[in-house]
Amino acid sequence: MRPTDLWRYEVRRAGWAALLTPPVATAALLLLALLDGGDDTDRTLLAALEMVLPLAAGVGAASLVGRDPAVELQLTVPTSYRSTLLRRLAVTLGWAALLAVLVAGILLATGGMPQERGALSGQLVWLAPTVWLGGLGFLAGAAFRSPAAAGGLVTTWWIVQQVFPGLLQGRDWSRTLYLFETTRGAVPEGWAANRLTLVATALVLAGLGWALLGRAERLLREEAE
Amino acid sequence: MRIEISGLVKTYKGKGRALDGLDLLVPTGMFGLLGANGAGKTTLMRILAGLLRPTGGEVRIGGYDVTGRAGRQAVQRVLGYLPQDLGVYPDLSAREFLDYVGLLKGIDDRATRRRRVGELLEVVALTGDADRRLRGYSGGMRRRVGIAQALLADPRLLIVDEPTAGLDPEERIRFRTLLSQLAGERTVLLSTHIVDDVAQTCRELAVLAKGRLVFRGTVDDLTRRADRRVWSVVTAGPAPTGGTVVSALPVEGGLRYRVVASVPPAPDAEPLAPTLEDGYLALAQPGAAEDAMRP
Amino acid sequence: MTAAFVYEFRMQARKRSMWIANGVIVALLGLLTANLLTDALDEPSAKVAMTSGAFLVNLILPVVYGCFLADRLVRDDKLGVAPILDATPASTAGRLSGKYLGSCAAAAVPLAIIYFGFAVLYAATAGHPVALAWAAALFAVVILPAVLFVGAFALVVPLLIPAPLFRVLFVGYWFWGNSIHPTLMPTLSQSLISPIGPYPLQELFGYGGPGGDVVLAGPVDDATLNFLRPAATAATAWLSIGVLLAVAALVLSAAPALRARTTR
Ligand SMILES: Nc1ncnc2c1ncn2[C@@H]1O[C@H](COP(=O)(O)OP(=O)(O)OP(=O)(O)O)[C@@H](O)[C@H]1O
Ligand SMILES: [Mg+2]
Repeated sequence: MRPTDLWRYEVRRAGWAALLTPPVATAALLLLALLDGGDDTDRTLLAALEMVLPLAAGVGAASLVGRDPAVELQLTVPTSYRSTLLRRLAVTLGWAALLAVLVAGILLATGGMPQERGALSGQLVWLAPTVWLGGLGFLAGAAFRSPAAAGGLVTTWWIVQQVFPGLLQGRDWSRTLYLFETTRGAVPEGWAANRLTLVATALVLAGLGWALLGRAERLLREEAE
Repeated sequence: MRIEISGLVKTYKGKGRALDGLDLLVPTGMFGLLGANGAGKTTLMRILAGLLRPTGGEVRIGGYDVTGRAGRQAVQRVLGYLPQDLGVYPDLSAREFLDYVGLLKGIDDRATRRRRVGELLEVVALTGDADRRLRGYSGGMRRRVGIAQALLADPRLLIVDEPTAGLDPEERIRFRTLLSQLAGERTVLLSTHIVDDVAQTCRELAVLAKGRLVFRGTVDDLTRRADRRVWSVVTAGPAPTGGTVVSALPVEGGLRYRVVASVPPAPDAEPLAPTLEDGYLALAQPGAAEDAMRP
Repeated sequence: MTAAFVYEFRMQARKRSMWIANGVIVALLGLLTANLLTDALDEPSAKVAMTSGAFLVNLILPVVYGCFLADRLVRDDKLGVAPILDATPASTAGRLSGKYLGSCAAAAVPLAIIYFGFAVLYAATAGHPVALAWAAALFAVVILPAVLFVGAFALVVPLLIPAPLFRVLFVGYWFWGNSIHPTLMPTLSQSLISPIGPYPLQELFGYGGPGGDVVLAGPVDDATLNFLRPAATAATAWLSIGVLLAVAALVLSAAPALRARTTR
């Protein structure tokens, strides 16, 4: 276990940019709902929980690799750089998770959480899409070493699921990978399987990212951009 | 720690060889590395620091093979490295940055780290500015932060890539003196374009050209390459040809040229005593290269 | 300005990650929409096939495109290139427009390849070479304004907010401002400033949504912001394009002032 001081620095590395993204994005959605008269706050909060916070986490995870000014130094210290990146990923996802637990708590208190979700299973509403988009972002970041490209992939995947929910929900195998099964799902009995598949595949994605980060030389080579 | 390099080759994708079959032995102590732009100095140092994987050849540092993961980790535990372009985190102060690097280097105890950072800030004369953000630092101040960072974990191997570039004369001299003092039982590999820095600190050095070793020996050996090849010519006419002009100083009756050439560049040329810089320049001249490898 | 254009175009087009990311996205979409694609290739009317292609391209790909452009201006300042460029004789406005057009053009290349690739595929399989003409017209009238509109925001807004936050807000906006039905909440979709181009798609190309029976543009009963949704005619379609380009120009004109603020 590394000292808490190290974690403190990694939180600062994430910077206010990364820390601001999840709450601002959530606030933007709430503001929009308010403009509409704000008659269905619960649904808005649920959408924030399953759609907005995971998106923010995913784009944050996609921005970890490729913009580190001190990368050459990082790669020569005994603390391996990929464990540092993993620490930063934990900070990014952890922050989104903190907010998500808060929002989920509000929903559970106000009864806005769908009936069949308890205090514990309700957490899967945000956890599954958050770790999935986080894993995708981390892998894409490791592969492209460009936050622009990795962020583009995450956001595209997100909007495809928003605009064409039928594309993924149409088949059994792809339905287990649909991110918004709680808010826009069509097959309620598949919910648990969907959540667990998402979490499991997210771990695979992150593991692939971890493997890709093993070669220092790739990280050092600044992309011609 | 001895560095033993044999047959080292590094090819960048789509480029020629940056290192072309390099054999070199770097003993414990201070060792200088000279070479023109693009000669391969940074590439060599990055391989030694475990940043790049060689395309071919062997590198052993203190007995460890740096091409393997275990060897690389063992070396990185005792390594202080100053990259040619050190990027810093602009939102941190110098003290925080060093504290963070200390953590990355495994100095987990807070009090130890604080003390060490304080000492090093003193060494690089940044104590007064230590709590300002790095964003507002001048180029030379940033280099000093980089130097302090390299010394943090009391490294047994110090690899510094052009550490004195951009430092003011006082700081430069202070730093190179510090390096010499540190050397002792450590290995310090210093690459630079400032030949004088090598002359003042190293006993031994190597010169690279186009990825190959063109000289390996003592400072005196290299200086002697320019024996009977350094001339002083005063002329108001065109610059002397057939050699390398080292300097041109305005004097009465024209310019006084210092020229490195195998034959006197003018009938009235006067011979001068060579410096290390003259020896380095003489290496690049025809006739000098053949016997360069002879110690 | 031309120099800035060429430089920016090259820099952007050389980014390998841009090509790979686009490739991955196309492969994923292709996998998911395989049956839609075969349907589209069976469509007897070249005009309908090309129009629905343009609609789909415009619905998704500007998101990728906006993400790619999101840090171009900020990067110059971060890398310290800006002072060098500032010292070159080209005027700030000229360089900015060169940069803008160059990066837009480069980021639009994959988009064009995908769209015209589809057009060529259709023209070949359905035997309607006229599809290529329709594709060119649609690209100019529907896709290009969207690209220029998004490009302006993607270059300028990250001067104000961090690029990752911009990406998140941008994709949220894209969904909200283009795909949400106006009766659900106040939205810009189906209006003059909807960058996917509902007015031109409907009025100039007779597009009626994926099923052919949807009203894309014009006033919607019970919706807010209907003043942005005048009756759909050919004239308002052209107006819509003009509005998009004018907004883009307006946003860009704010860039020099914002940059001076951030680099100070
Ligand atoms: N990342 C890279 N990709 C491709 N080629 C490279 C890369 N880094 C260095 N090179 C090439 O390798 C050769 C050696 O470069 P290197 O940086 O090692 O030289 P150097 O001696 O440190 O030069 P300088 O004195 O200018 O710092 C050069 O020809 C350079 O163009
Ligand atoms: Mg170098």
